Amino acid sequence: MREWTHSFKIDRDKCTGRLGCMRACPTQAIRVKDGKAKLLSELCIDCGSCLRVCPSGAISATTQSLKDVSKFKYKVAVPSAVLFGQFPAAISPAHIIEGLKSLGFDAVWIIGVETALTNQAIREYMRKWKGRFPLISSSCPVVVRLIQVSYPGMVEQLVHVEPPRELAGRELKRKYSLELGIPKHEIGAIYVTSCQAKTISILEPAEGVKSDLDGTVGISDVYNGILSAAHASKENGPKTTLQDYLFSEDMFQWSTGKGQRGNLRDYRYMALTGLSNIIRVFDDIEKGKLRNIDFLECYACWGGCVNGNLTVDNFYVTRSKLQRLVAGLPDQKALIEAEAKKRYPRENLYAKAPIRPRPIKGDMGDLKERIKRVKEAEVVMSALPGLNCGLCGAPNCKTLAKDIASGDAQKTECIFFSKDRLEKLRAIYL
Amino acid sequence: MPEELFKKTFTIQSRNFDKAGENSTEMKAILKGLNFDSEIIRRVVVVAFEAEMNVVMYARVGTLTFRITEEDIQIEIVDEGPGIPDIEQAMQPGFSTAPDEMREMGFGFGMGLPNIKKHSDSLGIESHVGKGTTLFASIKLNSNA
Repeated sequence: MREWTHSFKIDRDKCTGRLGCMRACPTQAIRVKDGKAKLLSELCIDCGSCLRVCPSGAISATTQSLKDVSKFKYKVAVPSAVLFGQFPAAISPAHIIEGLKSLGFDAVWIIGVETALTNQAIREYMRKWKGRFPLISSSCPVVVRLIQVSYPGMVEQLVHVEPPRELAGRELKRKYSLELGIPKHEIGAIYVTSCQAKTISILEPAEGVKSDLDGTVGISDVYNGILSAAHASKENGPKTTLQDYLFSEDMFQWSTGKGQRGNLRDYRYMALTGLSNIIRVFDDIEKGKLRNIDFLECYACWGGCVNGNLTVDNFYVTRSKLQRLVAGLPDQKALIEAEAKKRYPRENLYAKAPIRPRPIKGDMGDLKERIKRVKEAEVVMSALPGLNCGLCGAPNCKTLAKDIASGDAQKTECIFFSKDRLEKLRAIYL
Repeated sequence: MPEELFKKTFTIQSRNFDKAGENSTEMKAILKGLNFDSEIIRRVVVVAFEAEMNVVMYARVGTLTFRITEEDIQIEIVDEGPGIPDIEQAMQPGFSTAPDEMREMGFGFGMGLPNIKKHSDSLGIESHVGKGTTLFASIKLNSNA
């Protein structure tokens, strides 16, 4: 079985085995053995729930540092719309753009036109779609992976359209390569991200084809740098004119989880945020219970990307700031529309390759063997206490039973079945 | 008869709308654990859910038994309830005897039995008015019918 690249790492030395990550994981992909968290790679969907709850700082996102970015000859930041809602009101988008440049970026690319292109492509995709509904948005990498791992029967319902950030990566390389006369691979397109999951869509794309972006830096990584740059330029104010940047209301809508509300207003549309909510609705879809929906826009973080793991400010505050920001930005609608119209016919807006279910080790062998193990797990389960205490190192009794049946755990790891177990835990934790 | 490899029986409570569908969810988890093809799982789950809903809506009490053999997955639902007077009519898309109260909740649009038929490879219904209904559906493991 292959190991998947993930968007975070667990530092064994820092890990204190507090079980928080294991309990928070929505796909039961973490076990804690000998006081250390261990990831079952194929089950991990990169949601970062573990990262949010780790009390010892052992789990960290694998975004790039600004140092890694410096290897490119020409460095372009593609900031998530969320970035602009992170700062105090006195710090304008112009300050933020200059702040990014002060951190070493040569240019900043705003995704207004790309958002318009993706929106238009989604509409066209909806119109032409002959398969099963609802169609599901594919811009949140966690949602895509959740479907690949837990709802393989629904992969074809993922909308096959590139998200704005990918289109931006492609376009900016084309543009700057032409303007500056340098090869595309010497141009670094770096997404300034609100979560670790966008990193994984670049390092290990779900469709298995290389991304047009080269990496990510987290909002929290550039936050202080932008703040101090803004402070330094206070005297003279920012020199950047916002007219040169194509901000749009739509791109801010996207970051609050309702990017398609306006775009698909003539369809039966539902916006869905938060993994547990998404899982509930997906279960209903699988049963055929939810029928009258054409389009589901899903983001794993509750409230949308504004609540990503790598944001700094509270997401309610961010959302409110973004609303105010939209009102104060120059109206670029006509420009964006014209630009999108020009680019739409020549761009391939569809995903580079089909997304397929992720192969899961699960139960191997022939049907009889597999059934034998499931039955065994049921027998084991009925003997376990059902307290889901987690002291065995599995998130609940059911998972332990499954691990035992497939030979990955021992019954004696349950404290009810071994005197030594408690002693062992005492040695680790006390 | 092919050898029965696995069997599980669930009880279905009538009128229990908030818990309705939990059995199908549990079946789905078992089938996923067994690494069945996702399209087969989807069909089994749709059949089980619709059949379960029929019991919840119309019957007094019922059981859902699901079996896995080397050839197919079988779902058998036995209920004590009013029975179906005219099965042929009940199979027509859109035919429903559901009262308004259920339609208001979003159920009873007359697609239950047609949906079961659409998603299964074979379907048998036996019903005695005033006593109850037995529904038997199977989904073959090596076909995409």
